Amino acid sequence: MPKLLFRSTLAALGIGLLVAPSAVPAQLRDVVSKEVAVSRSEATLRLEFTDDGTLEIAFEDGAVLINGDVVGVFVPGDDLEAEWRSLLSQAASLDDGELALTLSDWSAPTNLAGELANLAQSVDRALEDALSGFDVDFGSGDFRVSQSIGDGGSLLQMLLRSTSELGLLQQAMNGLGGDFNIHFGEDVDVPAGSTVDGPLVVIQGNVRIAGEVDGDVIVVDGTLELLEESRVRGEVRLADARLVRNLGTVEGGVHDLLDEERDLQAEIRNQVREEVRAELRSQLGRELRDAARLEFIDDDGGFSLMAPFRAVGNGVSHLFKNLMSVFVLGLIGVGVVTFAGPNMDTIAETVRRSPGRSAVVGLAGTLLLVPVWLLGAVVLCVSIIGIPVALAWLPLFPLAACAAGVMGYVVVARNTGEWLADSEYPWTGWIRKSNSVYTIFGGLLALMLAFMAANVISIAPFLGFVTGLLAFAGAVITFFAIQIGFGAVLLTRAGRRRERTASFDVDAAWEAAMGVDEEVDFEVPGDEAKEASDHA
Amino acid sequence: MRKAIWMAAVTAAVAPSLLAGQSWRTVNTSHVIEDTDEVRVFVEYAAGRLKMRAADGGVLYRMKLRYDEEVFEPVSDLSGDRLRLGVESIGRGFRMGRRGQGGELDLEFARGIPIDMDLKFGAVQADIDLGGLALTDLDLSTGASQSRIDISEPNSMGMATARFEIGAAEFEARHLGNLNAERIEIDAGVGEITLWFDGRWQRDARVSIDMGLGALELRIPEGLGVRLEKDGFLVSLDSEGLVKRGDAYYSLDWEDADRRVRIDLDAAFGSVKVVWIR
Repeated sequence: MPKLLFRSTLAALGIGLLVAPSAVPAQLRDVVSKEVAVSRSEATLRLEFTDDGTLEIAFEDGAVLINGDVVGVFVPGDDLEAEWRSLLSQAASLDDGELALTLSDWSAPTNLAGELANLAQSVDRALEDALSGFDVDFGSGDFRVSQSIGDGGSLLQMLLRSTSELGLLQQAMNGLGGDFNIHFGEDVDVPAGSTVDGPLVVIQGNVRIAGEVDGDVIVVDGTLELLEESRVRGEVRLADARLVRNLGTVEGGVHDLLDEERDLQAEIRNQVREEVRAELRSQLGRELRDAARLEFIDDDGGFSLMAPFRAVGNGVSHLFKNLMSVFVLGLIGVGVVTFAGPNMDTIAETVRRSPGRSAVVGLAGTLLLVPVWLLGAVVLCVSIIGIPVALAWLPLFPLAACAAGVMGYVVVARNTGEWLADSEYPWTGWIRKSNSVYTIFGGLLALMLAFMAANVISIAPFLGFVTGLLAFAGAVITFFAIQIGFGAVLLTRAGRRRERTASFDVDAAWEAAMGVDEEVDFEVPGDEAKEASDHA
Repeated sequence: MRKAIWMAAVTAAVAPSLLAGQSWRTVNTSHVIEDTDEVRVFVEYAAGRLKMRAADGGVLYRMKLRYDEEVFEPVSDLSGDRLRLGVESIGRGFRMGRRGQGGELDLEFARGIPIDMDLKFGAVQADIDLGGLALTDLDLSTGASQSRIDISEPNSMGMATARFEIGAAEFEARHLGNLNAERIEIDAGVGEITLWFDGRWQRDARVSIDMGLGALELRIPEGLGVRLEKDGFLVSLDSEGLVKRGDAYYSLDWEDADRRVRIDLDAAFGSVKVVWIR
């Protein structure tokens, strides 16, 4: 019996909560923590209450979410969102009591219609439900309950947190008023010939109707059986309940709230999905149109049917430039071979023997070019005699540096050509190692191969990445070729002297091996020395 | 100091990466005072403008944060007596606002609630007023920042040590006396540092300054006893109003001063200037 009374009390509390709020004095819950987050696509309010309860209402990417559940959709920038953002801007600067009051006082804009109005009502209701703590003084039958919501330890709070049935009950009893019959935890039988006046509410019980109910029939967590000749003059609302037999007449129709809720959620999900899909489709279409339009836009930004072929033109023209560069550099190389062959040989030998050292020297030389140029000019300008020299120094030094770079590059190209001639790669058979003209042109083509390949590939569509990669490789090869060549030119003073390299000293090796650390001077007579020298 | 220099170098290296496509989000959070004995506050903020002061009303803290949600996510977490605030990187690079429209963090903390405060900033322009707060401990670490710290009202709690770790920064601390600290440690990398030793000194204190490269200005109120001991490599000291005795410089009223502050200065390169204020 006490158990039944307890359960009845809970039911009464729940029902009282659902039907009585408008008739009881209100008080607001304490808000301990607030978060207002606003961005271009989001306007979110999070509240935390003293009893650890929380509320989160988010307008995010076209959807309205209350505590994580999608309850509707909106169009960004519409009246509802503007109103919500306005509320949040006020809430941002408020705390606790003032905040709760402001949020509780908020009401849905009156200028909204249709789905948007319903959505606004949902948001408003969510705010009021979360913020309102009210005293319930509700009497029903043999018992009377007085309970305060908002008290952290209240039984009703536990009920609210622990069961979702109350939410369903709220939906089921929506719009219910006047006198109604409540049965909790018991089966109800309406025999044939009898009539129940007013709505019939059965919670956690089974209902069997053979007679008549003059109002709605609401069943929560139970079953309903409508026998022949039975009649319900209102609606049948099933919340987590089952209609096991329907042989009677229901004038208001049968509504399964869970199904309806599921249908609503599915409808909202579908709506959001469709909108996202439509947006993606239109964006893709836009991008494709833009891409197609770009294909037909010429360099001046105008429309041209020839525009798609400009890639071919560009590629061919750049390839032609590459070949022209090879030709010009080749001619320079041939000139150097003709007029300064020994110098070129010396540089080439240094490149071959000490490529690393040459590269380091070239890099250092490149870095020092500008400082040396400026320093030289300053030093020369200090004296009157130096001023005319400085006038020559200023233009000639950069020219000399460029000439050294070009010469070094050509030398590296010649060495590359010789290496290709020795190799057995296909397409290199025409390079004759004995002929510098062949080796220079062959080497230049090899060094610029990456650039030329990039320009050829750039003609084809959708290979921009490969083109960039090849162009980068070409730039790296050219950079190192110039640095190595320039370094070798510096090391050999433009090929006028051989690079000093560490050579194997037989005497030093012998002394080291034998532990000889005393120097012995031999006196060799003049003729014998000459003879030995000649012999050597 | 090495840590400070590294921090400065890292922030200086990443700070100029100006990229487009920022997506700004503003978050306002607050939490009312509940049963709270002491709060340990951790604030981390990478870049932007920072303001901090004591809060009015019954809130424990109030935070207004504007940040780029493409790069950061906000942090406001109160768990027990630990309160974490600021932003955390979500690992998509680092961006600074253009035309001064960078991130902003406004913080307010409750007066009267004992607070153990730990502040870490990167490239931040900070304007911090700790006046009115009941600080039990203070750790402040900055990167490449321009920071102005003021303790406009005396700290009612008192603390053992207040630590300032400054990277490459323009740093100014006012009313250090109001900190009510036994010891103040300042570890600076590179920058221009101005320390105001005004405020209400409730006890004698030691101040330790470790500086790499920069200019240090010590603004000392008349009447405060000061002993300055300098250890450095190439440091010029403008010790106007101080008398050298042994290895240290003393203010003229050292013997008779009500409150005495011992300053140990260790600097590598730079200049130190003492300015007397009334």
